[in-house]
Amino acid sequence: MDKVVDSLGLVQENSFLAVYIPATNRAFVFRVKSRANKGFERIAYGPLPLPSGTTLATFTGGTVSVPADGVLPAMSLIPVGITFPYTGAYDSTDMWYLSEDYRDRVFHVITRVTPRWLRIDLQIPTGVVQLRFQRDKLPLGIERDWGFSRGVIETVHIPEVHYGYRFANDTNMNVYTFVEFIYGEYIIDIPKDPYLIFGVLSKKVPHHFITLPVNVYDATLREALVKVYGIEGFPVYPIHERDKAVKEYTELLKEVKI
Amino acid sequence: MMVSELLTLRGATDNTNTTGVFSLTSDLIYGSVQYIQIPKGMKAKIWCKRISGAAVEVIIEYTHNILETPPTFTEVDREVLTSTGEISLEKRRPIVLRGITGLEGFRVSWNQSTPGLSYVELEVELTDDE
Repeated sequence: MDKVVDSLGLVQENSFLAVYIPATNRAFVFRVKSRANKGFERIAYGPLPLPSGTTLATFTGGTVSVPADGVLPAMSLIPVGITFPYTGAYDSTDMWYLSEDYRDRVFHVITRVTPRWLRIDLQIPTGVVQLRFQRDKLPLGIERDWGFSRGVIETVHIPEVHYGYRFANDTNMNVYTFVEFIYGEYIIDIPKDPYLIFGVLSKKVPHHFITLPVNVYDATLREALVKVYGIEGFPVYPIHERDKAVKEYTELLKEVKI
Repeated sequence: MMVSELLTLRGATDNTNTTGVFSLTSDLIYGSVQYIQIPKGMKAKIWCKRISGAAVEVIIEYTHNILETPPTFTEVDREVLTSTGEISLEKRRPIVLRGITGLEGFRVSWNQSTPGLSYVELEVELTDDE
């Protein structure tokens, strides 16, 4: 049997992708009809988009200036998530941003940064710190002891939302940086069979499951989801509540825009 | 997912003093550093040393707190180039230095009987593997 994902970690054609939002306990189920960039999934993006002179925060509470384009200074962090500019993209300040007109597409993006020890986290949308410990007792992220990954992060970009990527360097070295993306530009639809949706969300149907680090359900994200897909996602029910789930999914599917 | 980055570090003696600490450079480092700080939860693995030039002792020293003034460095390794030439030392089992608090670090120093120009290159992996 074919795997759901290929050797790059991207979802194969005619397979399912589930995107889960913890803050709402809802998920989207997408069928990947095709991958528009099949065979051309790697982008050697280049250095982090940090112009010389940019002011960054430090782990000790001060600030530091970026000494040269793309260099992340020692013991520094990017306090507000950045986007990745690319000339000619729909939004040249954020190459992963799409409008609602692109609702039949999502980007599945695996970001790798060199050096690999750099800390990474995500703000969805930009500026909203998402990870928390003990409900909202402690915010987490690159400036904390945990709540980040090192070197690699995987996500799915929903249209109409700018994602903020934050990076930190917890060594004494000013480092040159390099970013590589492995991405799939998926052409998707949402299955219209409520039993199939339940099958995916109850883990009975093979799929690739991605949890967006969203614990604070910002209004921007909610509005974007409704604008793009017509719904905020399918509630995730336990396996013994199939009938209830199917009934609700049937109603939600009437609102779905794709 | 395991994180790993291999750094080639290079330093040279100053040809003036018989002892000193190498300033280390690398293709990934902007400028140079006198020591390498090991991120919390990661390890520095020193896989390879290449020493060349004038006779020199190359010493690797480790500290638990690079913020101390001055830090207390402890020797963990010493290699000797006994006469002008070069040696290349590759290890099946690397020197492992751990980042426990995030304040650990290591530096590379030299000792010579008479000042001379010597070079050192280290292959260092920063990793979070078990």
